[in-house]
Amino acid sequence: MSGKSSLSVDEKMATVKIKIDKEAHIIVKKEYCRDCKTRPCLVICTAENYRWDEKKDELVFNYEGCLECGACRLICPQDAIDWSYPRGGYGVKFRFG
Amino acid sequence: MDKVTCIVVGAGPAGSTCAFALAQKGIETVLLERGRVPGEKNVASFVLYISVLEKLIPNFRQDLPVERNIVRTDFMYCGKHDTKSLQSYNYRYIDNPMAFTAFRRKFDSWLAQKAADAGVQLINSMKVTDLIKDEGQVVGIKVGQEELYADVVVGADGFHSIVGEKSGLIHEWPPERCLLAVKEVLDLPAEVINERFQLTDGIGCEQGIYCYNLNELDVFSATLYTNLDSVSLAVFARLDELQQKNVHLHEKLDTLKQHPYVHNLIKDATLREYQAHILPDGGRIKPSNLYGNGILLCGESGGITDTDSGMGIPTCMLSGMMAAETIGEAVKKQDFSKNCLKNYLKYLDATALLDMIHTSRKESDYFASENRTEIPKQMETTANLYNRYWESDVDYLSKNSFSVPTELYLALGQYHLPVLLRWPLTTLILLFRFQIRFVGAIKKKLRRRYYEWKKQPIR
Repeated sequence: MSGKSSLSVDEKMATVKIKIDKEAHIIVKKEYCRDCKTRPCLVICTAENYRWDEKKDELVFNYEGCLECGACRLICPQDAIDWSYPRGGYGVKFRFG
Repeated sequence: MDKVTCIVVGAGPAGSTCAFALAQKGIETVLLERGRVPGEKNVASFVLYISVLEKLIPNFRQDLPVERNIVRTDFMYCGKHDTKSLQSYNYRYIDNPMAFTAFRRKFDSWLAQKAADAGVQLINSMKVTDLIKDEGQVVGIKVGQEELYADVVVGADGFHSIVGEKSGLIHEWPPERCLLAVKEVLDLPAEVINERFQLTDGIGCEQGIYCYNLNELDVFSATLYTNLDSVSLAVFARLDELQQKNVHLHEKLDTLKQHPYVHNLIKDATLREYQAHILPDGGRIKPSNLYGNGILLCGESGGITDTDSGMGIPTCMLSGMMAAETIGEAVKKQDFSKNCLKNYLKYLDATALLDMIHTSRKESDYFASENRTEIPKQMETTANLYNRYWESDVDYLSKNSFSVPTELYLALGQYHLPVLLRWPLTTLILLFRFQIRFVGAIKKKLRRRYYEWKKQPIR
């Protein structure tokens, strides 16, 4: 086994090129999240874009770092995540897909 | 008011193939892509089998952007402390390639360009936002405020199909039918790849990896394949499973990378790109929902992919071809109603695709059901047989869990599988089983001799 520990998600995400749109393509109804018991979005997001802010007691997310798998939208038990693809020409650009 | 005969939404393999085939029939077609160039939104999880491409573009080899020609297929079973493998090297494929590795950014652009050369109007950076309907008949699409009318719209816009959703054909997203994948493309010099994978220049290999018990009772599949000077490693897991077990998928990938077998192959590699994608597993929608008034779904949006055999791209392309056939017929009759487009199923049935959809729906229903530890009758006998061979080796098959790779059960059982797509896998797995039996028997014999020898008085 290697002594070198594996990369963090943020380090991994640094390899991905994204053209950021000013318009957010993810809209979350945050009032639903507080009552959500499972919060599967925190686990399912491949870019770990969803995080729980303990201080504010609310969901924080950044749509800019989205890999566009859309898993969050399918898994949300509250249907609180309104996810769609970014506008044409924007979003993730895989060079070696 | 702009009007064309056909709008194809999405310039992936399915969409470009459909548009290309339509252009060959002389049908006016517009192909819309939401990326700035086709392929930049797409992620391949396996190699590219050429069977369908060959049919579509016979001289495709002239300028296809290929990384490596795949002649070797490995099946690896990675446990916590061991690996078992089956290697299949086909020398025939050196001169007559069967599969390639290619980057989708190049391949999809290449295919879309072929379609454009054939007369299709390709428009990039266009995300379709809505459909225009007239008395239940789809008559066009909207991109923001712009409108474009057509006799028929083909939805080839991938997993989160806007066309499928707005037309009402796709209305549910059961997590057990969705497979999430993350992939890493790792930089390695070509010579190092050749040495570690025992390959020569231009020749590559693909590996299907089934991981069991790496972390507790965790079963997941992964693929590893070689590009020219990089290696792609992807892991897959069903959405509902990830949710239940509460793990990040990229953690599974990291676990696999720590496994001695994988580690030796990819050590000192640097990450070139991290990718994620979601794919439909197990025939996502009913076949009767693949068509509607003025609309057809093909490729991933219709769930016409086979995630188990790694034949995703060819099956998508084939569905695109069949959609083009259907539309060709509809244009002749000038009838774009549901009744006429129903012929799509007839065309799909002429290939292995319809069977594939039915079978994988059954499969995913079974594996998603709550009583999946109860092995169904047709699998029971084989499972028992299998258990007997492995009585001594609990590490491989833990008895209290259903942890044998699903492929294995499916291949060994009398489960009906689309033979056309699966025969190589089935043969290999059967071979594997007998090999195990043979080795196991020798092992047992040796052990017995050893104990007999031990009991003897020392002379």
